[in-house]
Amino acid sequence: MTGRLHEAPSDPFRRQVLKSIALAGGGLVATIQLSACASASALASPNDAGGLTNNALLQITPNNEIHFYLPRAEMGQGVFMGLTTLIAEELEVDPGLIKVHHASVHEAFRKPGSRIQYTGGSTSLSAHFVQLRQVAANVRESIRRAAAEILNVSASNLALQNGQVLFQGKSWPYGRFATEAAKRRLPKDVALKPANDFRVIGQDRPRLDAWDKVTSQAQFGLDVDFPGLFHAALRRCPATGGTVKSAIMDKAATAPGVLKVVQIFNGIAVVADNHWQARQAAELLEIEWNQPELATVSSPELRLEMERAMAEEDGQKAHSEGDADEALEQADRVLEATYWAPYLAHATMEPMNCTARIQDGHCDVWVGSQMPDGALGMAAHHSGLSRDDVNVHATFMGGGFGRRLSSDFVAEAVAIARASGVPVQLIWSREEDIQYDRYRPVSLVRLRAGLDREGRISAWTAKRVGPDVAAHFADDNLETIAPEFLPWGLSDWACKQGYWLFEDFIINPASVHGLFGDYDIPHQDIRHASVDPKLPIGYWRSVGHSFNAFFAESFIDELAHSANQDPLAFRLAHNGHDRRMQQVLRIVADKAGWGKAETGRFQGIAAHNAFETAVAQVVELSLEDGTIRLHKVTCAVDCGTVVNPDIVRAQMESGIIVGLTAALYGEITIDNGTVVQGNFHDYEMLRMDQAPDIEVVIVPSDSAPTGVGEPGLPPLAPALGNAMFAATGKRLRELPLSRHVKFS
Amino acid sequence: MISFSLNGRVVDTDVSPETPLLWVVRDVFKLKGSKFGCGAGLCGACTMHVDGDAVRTCILPVSDVAGQDVKTIEGLGSRENPHPLQRAWVEHNVPQCGYCQSGQLMSAAALLDQIPKPDVTEINEAMRGNICRCGTYGRIRKAIQSTALKGDGA
Repeated sequence: MTGRLHEAPSDPFRRQVLKSIALAGGGLVATIQLSACASASALASPNDAGGLTNNALLQITPNNEIHFYLPRAEMGQGVFMGLTTLIAEELEVDPGLIKVHHASVHEAFRKPGSRIQYTGGSTSLSAHFVQLRQVAANVRESIRRAAAEILNVSASNLALQNGQVLFQGKSWPYGRFATEAAKRRLPKDVALKPANDFRVIGQDRPRLDAWDKVTSQAQFGLDVDFPGLFHAALRRCPATGGTVKSAIMDKAATAPGVLKVVQIFNGIAVVADNHWQARQAAELLEIEWNQPELATVSSPELRLEMERAMAEEDGQKAHSEGDADEALEQADRVLEATYWAPYLAHATMEPMNCTARIQDGHCDVWVGSQMPDGALGMAAHHSGLSRDDVNVHATFMGGGFGRRLSSDFVAEAVAIARASGVPVQLIWSREEDIQYDRYRPVSLVRLRAGLDREGRISAWTAKRVGPDVAAHFADDNLETIAPEFLPWGLSDWACKQGYWLFEDFIINPASVHGLFGDYDIPHQDIRHASVDPKLPIGYWRSVGHSFNAFFAESFIDELAHSANQDPLAFRLAHNGHDRRMQQVLRIVADKAGWGKAETGRFQGIAAHNAFETAVAQVVELSLEDGTIRLHKVTCAVDCGTVVNPDIVRAQMESGIIVGLTAALYGEITIDNGTVVQGNFHDYEMLRMDQAPDIEVVIVPSDSAPTGVGEPGLPPLAPALGNAMFAATGKRLRELPLSRHVKFS
Repeated sequence: MISFSLNGRVVDTDVSPETPLLWVVRDVFKLKGSKFGCGAGLCGACTMHVDGDAVRTCILPVSDVAGQDVKTIEGLGSRENPHPLQRAWVEHNVPQCGYCQSGQLMSAAALLDQIPKPDVTEINEAMRGNICRCGTYGRIRKAIQSTALKGDGA
């Protein structure tokens, strides 16, 4: 980590997005070094307006405004508050004094340790935990040194508190010294505060974005508006991937408010004065499609093909320990079970949307994106402009859950803007959002385990059959992000290979993660066989853990019952290597009153490590006239150092509700390549009257922070299934559960 | 020409009469707080008050509100002068992504106008039409209950 101080330039030709909001204020600007090969002088030059305005993380202006350019995207998970808290801690200011802005696209905003500017993998806090505190500490010390010089006192005699420099009963705002501080080199590697000096880290505080979100001031992608903006609706092939064969467009073209009808790479778009007019006119298009290969596939046949692969294919080895075959031979008892999880849509509350303007050789895109540099690359590709001529303006996201890592909707909006010659806003309908998603992949898993005479698991094998998410993601994004992380020739070649480069080349860890690793088992064999009808898939909150935890933790429960052991004790007997997991299990059992449910109540327990975080949950339910009623979910989490406990609780609650929705209702099926479900009547969401009470316990820890946004989700489905087994004696191995049991 | 009251001001529009109120408010009158979620009255993100009732406006033709009082989240309160529910939403850290919260607040405000001290069943019944994908239901319930307890919901 290095930093430099700059005088913010007054170059009037700066066209970067930041100019209008802050940097015109001048003062002290902290950036981070772009890369190992970037020259320091380029960074230091006060005339290097482009680099400077684009890569600022933190700025203090002479009039004492503190601006923080949030390098990760806010989609509900809490980085707006969490990352700002890191800055506030070392800067010695109240978080509420800091003005937070969504960052643009720049190398400086890439996730530390990554070559891509993305928000995902439950890593925002862990990746920035040291970096942002260091930036703030360096800035704070530069203010102290400048103040010492101006006040002509020793720096060590100055106290810095809540944005003020204090000396002998007098106080001056930081901004008073910003111009002086900007003249000197930013100190590097200033010592960070020890944890027991933290003043804001670890405290419950209201989210900084809460007021804007309850008073309609938070701007989401589809709230973007400006004079001259038109609205677009797009008709695509019902089976994703098809192209236009022929079309009759007259009726649409002459409908009220319609400006233009244009064809783009995947369909035909209507551009109109307002959204409703565009939507209505698009329905008047008569289109014949060139059907993709996907159009020959329906869900029942896909299931049969996956079962065939399970029976006939050995699959590729993903992980092994010892000799599982031999151990199964020697086992006292062998259990086998096959589990199933369907495709799932993300169904963020804000449907996919993007606003695009191509003007004077420049492309501006307004979008809520988890991967804005992917969006930028996509916009460059579809506008025909260079990356340098594209700006991505970030907004709040009405949910992400992994869906907004893809930039397919950016490609469409930019292509429509280019074809129509006017700025357009494209808003997907809910039906389009559900039918053209990048789905959680469908999965069939066969588990087999051996128990020895003492009831210990001696062998564990798993084979997963289904599509691989990384291959799809590469297909979707490689040409837009590859130039940034692969040598030119290689990226070009890899783009052309697309899916097949990855298919047999590697086993994507996301396909099998969570199927092993949580328990001490001497002999293991984990395999994977790809079956993929090419329905687009993507990253869905907690990725493979979201289904693999259901498989593994349900099967562990089966083994415990087979061994005639208490499911909690059985788990504790098999994860002695994992102190955090042992602790969350014990705590959740204690809080939930494990084994002490009142008559008529039934409990299920599950625990899972995901994104370095240990989570255990107990579901309590009752059975009344054959109908299941959920009462309570108790959750214990160890995610290391906690920056804002209430956000951790909120994320556990969120994972539990999303996990419940998926476990009870979530299912996407296809009929001749077309997704059958279309809106919330047939792709149901959990609603308030079904939401159980939730209690979250956070295990105190001074370890480095680990993931929070996703790990709360995976244990829910197995804990629920295990509770239903306790209630009914029936083991449910296929999701969604509402296909097999009635819920109230 | 269709005329109605929008947050206390009389407005009129010449859009085609079947245009849903949501799109008139968003695209014509440029109030962006009410959100589009489903277009089918299934999720509640577009909820506004029409003559005091919580209504799904993504399926409500604008002609239906001619001469009526329409209130949106912009008319419910502001940071400087918040509705008690908005304050409670912040105190309970309700919003995550925040997208559905305009609709949640409008449904909750209509509930407290009609039933100042609702029980849990009444809250669930009034709010079950509003989907929250982030799972803030428990906090919404608490925020409504705490506002009702203070008796300042209306």
